[in-house]
Amino acid sequence: MIWFVLIAFLGGASVSLSRQINGRLSLSTSAMHASFWNHIVGFGLLTLMALVFGGLFTPGIKDIPFWAYLGGTVGVVFIALSSWLVAKIGAAQTALLIIAGQMISGVVLDILTGAPGNPAARTAGVALILAGMWLSQRKR
Amino acid sequence: MTTSSLSFLLAFGAGVLLSLMVLFNGTLASFGSLLFASWVPHATGTLVALIFLALMRPQKASAKRPPLWAYAGGIVGAFTVMATSYTMNTALALSGTIAIGLAGQMVFSLVADARGMFGLPQKLPSLRDWTALALIVAGSLILIFFGGVA
Repeated sequence: MIWFVLIAFLGGASVSLSRQINGRLSLSTSAMHASFWNHIVGFGLLTLMALVFGGLFTPGIKDIPFWAYLGGTVGVVFIALSSWLVAKIGAAQTALLIIAGQMISGVVLDILTGAPGNPAARTAGVALILAGMWLSQRKR
Repeated sequence: MTTSSLSFLLAFGAGVLLSLMVLFNGTLASFGSLLFASWVPHATGTLVALIFLALMRPQKASAKRPPLWAYAGGIVGAFTVMATSYTMNTALALSGTIAIGLAGQMVFSLVADARGMFGLPQKLPSLRDWTALALIVAGSLILIFFGGVA
């Protein structure tokens, strides 16, 4: 169990690590350059893994709805934005606000798609996040 | 460390984009393999980034070449996918993976900021930053474990 927890913790830390590495690249180039390099390097590595291990194309993929292919386009903007932000407002502030945006829009998406969830917990969670955001943004 | 309203809105907006990415890429994974669900957005993302670069022609901020490790963000990103796909399928499940990952992300970010690691500006969190952090993390954990997110 402690092993799984360690891997999950490192998985989270690696999100911040790659954001800072991309942020450093954007300081020398631009946020969009950083996003491009992030994608092409990842693409190269994943292609190599597909060639070694196989399993890239499976029969189920012909049924994928077309909109599911938009993740890469959104990802380019996301990586460019976060590379720019991390160099400007720091890793912790960037992570905190991205988490807040992800959590609150996650609740909205869940409600729109009719996913099950406790309304009281949703209200309490969103209220705490909004309070934290208000506090971090309030003028001194 | 005060944050300008523009950065504040953009960071929140980036979080919304991340939710959409989870939805789109998660749908890919439900039809195909995890490898496919990570390979496709990297392939299309590379093409889309090239188009953006051609259209926007962003100025390079510095004539000096960045260190070689600054190009390794994509490699670390691939590790993230592998680590989370692995722990998702253990006793931790998706909610545990996200909750512990959130802790890992915040701890590493705070250490990196405090030390000014990776050539980025040094930033020390104030008492108010810690309070905001506690509120947002508490709210996120409630949503992860009781609210149906993840």
